[in-house]
Amino acid sequence: MASFATMASGSGSSNSTNMKGLVSYIAALRQARHREAEEKVVRQEMAHIRQQFRQQLNGYQKKKYLSKVCFTYILGYEVDVGHMEAVNLIASSKYSEKQIGYLALTLLMHENSDLIRLVVNSIRKDLDDLNEVHNCLALHAIANIGGSEMAETLAPDVHRLLISPTSRSFVKKKAALTLLRLYRKSPEALSDVPDWAARIVAIMDDDDLGVATAVASLVMTMAQDHPDAFANAYPKAVDRLAKIIVEEDYSEDYLYYKVPAPWLQVKLLRLLQYWPASDDETIKATIHNVLDHIVQNSQNTPKNVQRNNAQNAILFEAINLAIHLDTESAVVAKASVLLGKFILSRETNVRYLGLDTMAHLAACVESLEPIKMHQKTIMHSLRDRDISVRRRGLDLLYSMCDVDNARSIVGEMLRYLQVADYALREELVLKIAILTEKFATEYAWYVDTILQLISSAGDHVGEEVWFRVVQIVTNNEDVQEYAATKAYEHLQSSSCHENLIKVGGYVLGEYGHLIANNPGASPIEQFHALHSRSHLCSQPTRALLLSTYVKWLNLFPEIREQLLYVLKRYTHVLDSELQQRACEYVALAERPDGSDELLQAVCDEMPPFPEKSSLLLGRLQKKHGDTNDKRTWIIGGKEVNRNRDEARLESLRRGPANGGAMPTTKAAGAAAPPSVIPAGGQQSNGAGIDDIMAGLEGLDMSVQPGGVGVTNGMGENGGEAGESSYTARAPLIDHGGDGEESADRTASSIKPTTTGVGVAAPSSSSAAPPLVFPPSITKSYLKTAFSNEGVLYEDGSLQIGLKTEFHGSRGRLALYLGNKISVGFTSLSLRVRPHPEEPDVANPAIKASMSKLPPSSLGAMTQIQQVVDVSCRGVATYPPLLHVEYLAGSLQSLVLPLPVPMSKFISPVPPGSLGGPAQFFERWKALEGEGRQAQRVFGGFKLSRETKSGVDEGRMRRVVEKGLRLGLLEGIDPKSENVVAAGLWYCDEATTEVGGGTTTSTASKVGILLRLEPNAAARQCRCTVRSTRGDVSAEVARLVVCALGGDAGLLLDLKGARAGVEGAQPAA
Amino acid sequence: MAVESVVIINNYGKARLATFYRPISTARQQLLIRTIYHLVSNRPDEGLCNFLDAPQLKALLQPPASSSKASSTTPGIDNDYRVIYRHYATLCFIFVVDSAESDLAILDLIQVFVESLDRFFPNVCELDLIFHYDEVQSILSQLIQGGLVLETNINEIVKQAQAASKARKASASSTQLPQGAASVVSGNGFQVGINAATTAAGWARDWMSTRR
Repeated sequence: MASFATMASGSGSSNSTNMKGLVSYIAALRQARHREAEEKVVRQEMAHIRQQFRQQLNGYQKKKYLSKVCFTYILGYEVDVGHMEAVNLIASSKYSEKQIGYLALTLLMHENSDLIRLVVNSIRKDLDDLNEVHNCLALHAIANIGGSEMAETLAPDVHRLLISPTSRSFVKKKAALTLLRLYRKSPEALSDVPDWAARIVAIMDDDDLGVATAVASLVMTMAQDHPDAFANAYPKAVDRLAKIIVEEDYSEDYLYYKVPAPWLQVKLLRLLQYWPASDDETIKATIHNVLDHIVQNSQNTPKNVQRNNAQNAILFEAINLAIHLDTESAVVAKASVLLGKFILSRETNVRYLGLDTMAHLAACVESLEPIKMHQKTIMHSLRDRDISVRRRGLDLLYSMCDVDNARSIVGEMLRYLQVADYALREELVLKIAILTEKFATEYAWYVDTILQLISSAGDHVGEEVWFRVVQIVTNNEDVQEYAATKAYEHLQSSSCHENLIKVGGYVLGEYGHLIANNPGASPIEQFHALHSRSHLCSQPTRALLLSTYVKWLNLFPEIREQLLYVLKRYTHVLDSELQQRACEYVALAERPDGSDELLQAVCDEMPPFPEKSSLLLGRLQKKHGDTNDKRTWIIGGKEVNRNRDEARLESLRRGPANGGAMPTTKAAGAAAPPSVIPAGGQQSNGAGIDDIMAGLEGLDMSVQPGGVGVTNGMGENGGEAGESSYTARAPLIDHGGDGEESADRTASSIKPTTTGVGVAAPSSSSAAPPLVFPPSITKSYLKTAFSNEGVLYEDGSLQIGLKTEFHGSRGRLALYLGNKISVGFTSLSLRVRPHPEEPDVANPAIKASMSKLPPSSLGAMTQIQQVVDVSCRGVATYPPLLHVEYLAGSLQSLVLPLPVPMSKFISPVPPGSLGGPAQFFERWKALEGEGRQAQRVFGGFKLSRETKSGVDEGRMRRVVEKGLRLGLLEGIDPKSENVVAAGLWYCDEATTEVGGGTTTSTASKVGILLRLEPNAAARQCRCTVRSTRGDVSAEVARLVVCALGGDAGLLLDLKGARAGVEGAQPAA
Repeated sequence: MAVESVVIINNYGKARLATFYRPISTARQQLLIRTIYHLVSNRPDEGLCNFLDAPQLKALLQPPASSSKASSTTPGIDNDYRVIYRHYATLCFIFVVDSAESDLAILDLIQVFVESLDRFFPNVCELDLIFHYDEVQSILSQLIQGGLVLETNINEIVKQAQAASKARKASASSTQLPQGAASVVSGNGFQVGINAATTAAGWARDWMSTRR
């Protein structure tokens, strides 16, 4: 443990670089008793250095002076010398000089400095240097000051250092993070990222945990933009976690207080939150096992603070992942019990994180019940000594609020508002306003709460809060009278905040007549209540009050005299806005023709506001905007998060063509959950809009209250009010330009998200390059497709053998991967994927999955077995693909088709079960005709070896029986050389219910009859397949041609095969 | 996910180390240090957690709008910053991070930093941080690079820092004498340069062989 207590014992005797000048300079600065003296020393020294730099200096001198400059800078003085010297020293061949040069570079310059251009070449030279220490200096510099220019010129060099097999671990780590920096600075300059993905992901398996940690950071950022290209990182991360946590396989070096590599664990757990939950059962089970282990490990609390910290860091991230994967899982249930304990902990850090994580849970779960159990504790946390804890408590209360507990939570928040820290109040007010609106079941409660909020929070109430009240009251007729009564009551209290006067002014101006008959609320009393306060108000509020008065002119003729008196007095005020308003209103009231039609038209009741989402949410969520790495969740209820995810997915699907387009209001409205206020159908809830939408819509809203309200508008630009007030709905204030501009601003502020998405979409297409199989595959595929075992692939270093076993609609493929060379393969990755041409990739005709996670390495000269389970869901024309990647010096990548033609799922009909020839041909005839039969004529089959002219009947029969798995029926066909066979094809037909999205499978069987008529003379053969399903017949016929004709190209070249089928049809 | 700044402040508010991972003018740096000190020093040590939301740092850390052309690609517009700190005797170690970092992991990282310093300077004290500011920078650069966590293994950090320090000393001492001549006779200087490079490489090799 460090002991900074011993600071009296000076140790600054010798600097590591033995620069006496520097030491004495530092000593002189330390001796300066006060700031002025220190400044004097600095000024003198800088003057001296400036003079020195004008002369011819050697490397040592430059280094010495530059060190002084750096030290001065670190002390907090602006320095304007030494930049050129730094550039020179970087090019020096001496490490000590180079190092000071780089230090000065990172301290004194930044990405936009003009001198950066001068160092790019030196940096590149150091990147190429054989000396790794120089590589590191260069990487470190790029990581600190690299901008888009460096990204363009140096990224390939950095990438090369990252993937080079000769790079040492400490270089790789630095290169990974440097690349990350460049990518963040300029993603467009690194357009190769999707192509680099596989190679970068492979490094996650690096033996060195430090390298793995650094690469995990890199992958995390890049994967957000290219989720598909980096998809392979998911199983890799799971595998690595399982190794560390379950198998306890890690290097001792990375034990931190007995916890293995906590940073890597945390990073990987977080990385997994950037993809939707995997649907691969094996991966799911492994993650579950990992999470279970982590939760289990946390049961005992170690005494050591450090160890406890590290353990908790992992635990909290694991809980976050568990919540992300499935809120209903057993792990989450366990975790929520743990969290309940944590928020009662005596350790403040644990309480803090407990509340934070619980807020995440509350933001995602279906049922809030387990959290509501702790409501008392959570409310109590608002009284915690620590503001950090109070903040998290507030977030949690906000997230866990629903219709049932809204009253108590909002009540508690209102009470807390009185004593809350000033820093918290504005956000607190917004949260109260949103919850009140969202979960109100009665108007009375809504109005009471909001008015109380406005009166007690005073200055902390943002404009949008009272805009929103006006909007809701205007749009809901039922609440208008009550709102007017309550607003009037508040106006009569002794102290009344200006915001309340605004609400009162607006509401009474619109709906004052509804309460004019109440005792104590006559027009004249209403007028006095408002006007007596106007002298204390700011100019915009007074302007609003003038509008109220002109509305009353229309509503309350009985107080016309008083109103006109006030308005006329305002025609003489100095403020031009108020004066103009007053003049126009007076002119409106005293029309020369004596008619008040115009007044009535202008002062008519406000129409309901157009439906828009809540401005409040937009405001709140703007506060929690995007970070460099997107947050995986946001504070708030589950709808917010779900819709946010949906929006993200939606924009992913939309692709680049209209990626930038905002969803329409209508769509957003549809996404919003039904409003909770029973009669408030008109009222937009707004909870279901993702943050981008809310930001944009909120902006529209801010124009609305000022713009649409003609007479009630309170803009600063009332000059045009006179002309425009003739059309009641014309905007009073021309916010057009302004609004657009800010819309642009919003658009640009959200741009990173949309462009990120936009980049992602094309990447998914570029991530799937045209399928290229190794050339040797056609032959081996043909062999393995029609036999139970064989070698699927072989090259100089790798052999992949195959043994298969099929029963009905299911089967197992045992893959044997053999390493043929004396170097181990690392970062091995095996994946089975549906063929990209598959019509429904999510639900392929042949479902293939691995029963366990494949190992991540393959030792020299060894072999491993990996089992792939397959099942038949339909007529498969496209083979599932096996992706093999491994590192042996460089990254090797292979794509192989897995030989599972549909014939594998055929079982032979036992001979004799179909009866004699008569019965057979009865069936045969029954299946005649279009849509049942497929016929092909093909050549190229082998002739009998003995006769050289006849048909090799033995082979033909063997292929039909063993290869196509059909049962031979002897003695059926009158011609002995003809082959007749029958079989049953098994399939678990997957049917997707419309709308429900659930997939159920029903087992089905299809009988297949085959007849082969070879013609030795013409060296051709006619093949006829009949079954109840045309697609089955066609596919079997195709397979027969492939198997007997020996045409593997036909087997893999699917488009040609199809054409062949169609072409063969008319020949029948 | 990024560390914005690493600051070491003593109990009197004097910064002993202040590194910012984005370009910030000296004046603003000083303001930031003062703000951070104010935030942290107002919190009693006992019974409070080590994390602090710091919305007030946002205005100071965000680059001014005019120079944000290059940084427009990084959506830093609405970062929430968090201060994570830990006291050690007279010094307070403070990391300013964005909201995507794991709080506890950063807290552990502070511990790693301090332990690395302690191992590099046996029994580290405040004076070490002053007189060996370049070494402290070098250790920090082994720990965090450009705002990203680079290495968390104390052995590895110290080993790298010591290697760099040795390489520096070696290249400095081996060439101290002929240096005067080097600047005069350029041809000779080239020769010296070769020597220095080989020496540094030699060091690197020696230490690499001991690594394995």
